[in-house]
Amino acid sequence: MQAIAERYSNQSALVKELQYDNEEGLSNDFVNGRSQFSHLAPHIALPPISTPQEFLRAHTDDSQNPDCKIKIAHGTTTLAFRFQGGIVVAVDSRATAGSWIASQTVKKVIEINPFLLGTLAGGAADCQYWETWLGAQCRLHELKEKERISVAAASKILSNLTYQYKGAGLSMGTMICGYTKKEGPTIYYVDSDGSRLKGDLFCVGSGQTFAYGVLDSNYRWDLTVEEALYLGKRSILAAAHRDAYSGGSVNLYHVTESGWVFHGNFDVDTLFWEIKAKEGSFNNVVG
Amino acid sequence: MSGYDRALSIFSPDGHIFQVEYAGEAVKRGTCAVGIKGKDCVVVGCERRSTLKLQDPRITPSKISKIDSHVVLSFAGLNADSRILIEKARVEAQSHKLTLEDPVTIEYVTRYVAGVQQRYTQSGGVRPFGVSTLIAGFDPRDTTPKLYQTEPSGIYSAWSAQAIGRNSKTVREFLEKNYSKEAPPSTEQDCVKLTVKALLEVVQTGAKNIEITVVKPNSQLTNLTSEEIGKYVDEIELEKQQELDKKKKRREEN
Amino acid sequence: MDIILGIRVKDSVILASSKAVTRGISVLKADDDKTRVLSDHTLMSFTGEPGDSVQFAEYIQANIQLYSIRENCELSPHAASSFIRQELAKSIRSRKPFQVNVLVGGYDTRKESPHLYQIDYLGTKVDLPYAAHGYAGFYTFSLLDHHYRPDMNTSEALKLLKMCIEELERRMPMDFKGVLVKVVDKDGVREIEDF
Repeated sequence: MQAIAERYSNQSALVKELQYDNEEGLSNDFVNGRSQFSHLAPHIALPPISTPQEFLRAHTDDSQNPDCKIKIAHGTTTLAFRFQGGIVVAVDSRATAGSWIASQTVKKVIEINPFLLGTLAGGAADCQYWETWLGAQCRLHELKEKERISVAAASKILSNLTYQYKGAGLSMGTMICGYTKKEGPTIYYVDSDGSRLKGDLFCVGSGQTFAYGVLDSNYRWDLTVEEALYLGKRSILAAAHRDAYSGGSVNLYHVTESGWVFHGNFDVDTLFWEIKAKEGSFNNVVG
Repeated sequence: MSGYDRALSIFSPDGHIFQVEYAGEAVKRGTCAVGIKGKDCVVVGCERRSTLKLQDPRITPSKISKIDSHVVLSFAGLNADSRILIEKARVEAQSHKLTLEDPVTIEYVTRYVAGVQQRYTQSGGVRPFGVSTLIAGFDPRDTTPKLYQTEPSGIYSAWSAQAIGRNSKTVREFLEKNYSKEAPPSTEQDCVKLTVKALLEVVQTGAKNIEITVVKPNSQLTNLTSEEIGKYVDEIELEKQQELDKKKKRREEN
Repeated sequence: MDIILGIRVKDSVILASSKAVTRGISVLKADDDKTRVLSDHTLMSFTGEPGDSVQFAEYIQANIQLYSIRENCELSPHAASSFIRQELAKSIRSRKPFQVNVLVGGYDTRKESPHLYQIDYLGTKVDLPYAAHGYAGFYTFSLLDHHYRPDMNTSEALKLLKMCIEELERRMPMDFKGVLVKVVDKDGVREIEDF
């Protein structure tokens, strides 16, 4: 009888999960809200080798080993900047695997929630997965605290995560953009090294230098919304034109006090001729 | 004995968990603690166990503890149990600051402390905390005073003025009579005075057995010295005396 | 390469740190603060592996603040630096060490004296009158050896620091976007605006 009772008691997965059965480990309090978050982050099995990062590079780095079997989607230009009217976020839409254009229609802006945007550069899968995961964390914070999460806190959740996986081969360069009452328009740059930087203006990806060129020289704090959107679009176009790994189309977003607004998708082909004609620029191209 | 009071994780047939209720008894035997919200301050006061002849009251640990620069916690019940809660709350406050880049709100600490207390009512082999706490302070970048209470069961609640511990019923009745939610004490002095007055309802020995901490916005925390508290006590006693004299006179006139 | 420099004089410590953050071939940020305030009178500047450095600094900051809440007393710069050294010494023997070098500047309010400590990622701690990590020392130590006097006051020290920074700007091949200068003295930590 006792044996039967024992078999049915203390077996509940929930009891185990919440560690009710662990009497000594009470210090590990499940009440501490954030430790529960980690339950939602699935444990990712790492290959049984000493340095996963080197292993990954050996098998995926196209530039060093063109015969590599796994080609990770890379190559991007993304930008975000703060100005008087909020934040403008602009990105291209090309994904490349080695010299092969894998897609021209990638969504590189991840809509974390109606007030937060994340951009995608580096490994597309890593960014997509972890930024969607970040969205879940932000929603949980909102439900618990009855208040929208700050951009600082949201970006820190992500940077703590990337820091935890440092050296395991994650590849991400992202900007977390949002607007809260407390902070105003805010941009944090977070990457897979575990860095997290607050700033007014960032360009990330293989085309960053080309985008910086146009953006830096035309940027002012008191840009109008229209000017700012055009500048964002124009900077991505500049990169799409010069960087072989960027292209496709431009996706434009504007982040304001009341959340983000999508401002359209512009095909680089048509956009290029349109802007060339309008500005009289791109005179290296005979049209 | 029915046996339902032995194991923590077992209900009695009528839905009680006796161990948790006994923890409530421990709270009722603990020295009294009072918290009062003013217009722009929160005052926490408590009764200190009467000091023995050879005890050094100066270095005996205080019953009001700082959780972070803007939060204080006072308790009634088992002193030793409270230290665990205080330590956990302090670590959580720093951890919150580290991961959210923002100091804790008063509600957050309360929810955390109550959460820890709840956990110890639902695990095998442990004893609930014999402690009720009053948690007071101001949220970061905010000027509205906050006052919360937690209980051994893990319940937490918000208050304008509250008393816990020995004779808390007397003090609560006093507060219900003398505190108005619409017109809370407007100055820090009035608020401290009301706190001292409330405590004097149950503390016999006066100033030397009372501790007072005043919290104001932007992490302004002040612990009153026993001389300062003594002044309030004298003032209150003088008022009481005058009141008594007046009554006496009136009676004689009649 | 980041620049972090520290000078201890008669009644203060000055910490200077470069404002640039460089990733790949771009300067991502030109107004970075590579320091963290540990307590009212202790400041730490840091440099090293991206990610590790800030993560380590904030971990130390949280622990030192927890100490002061618990004990209701401020840790002396000497005690704080010993704690940091111990954390780095533990870390170097772990599976994934922090690759961080730090300078700790503080004012001991009880002894009424300023202190400057240099600690590297291996856990080596030295008490020095002036210190640096990275390439900054190669350009500036000769200048400091020449001009430094222990009885200097803060403004004289700032002048000497200015000399060092000018030399760095002249000879370093990379632009480090200027330096952020903070002074720690008996009144606590303050930033020197438009250095």
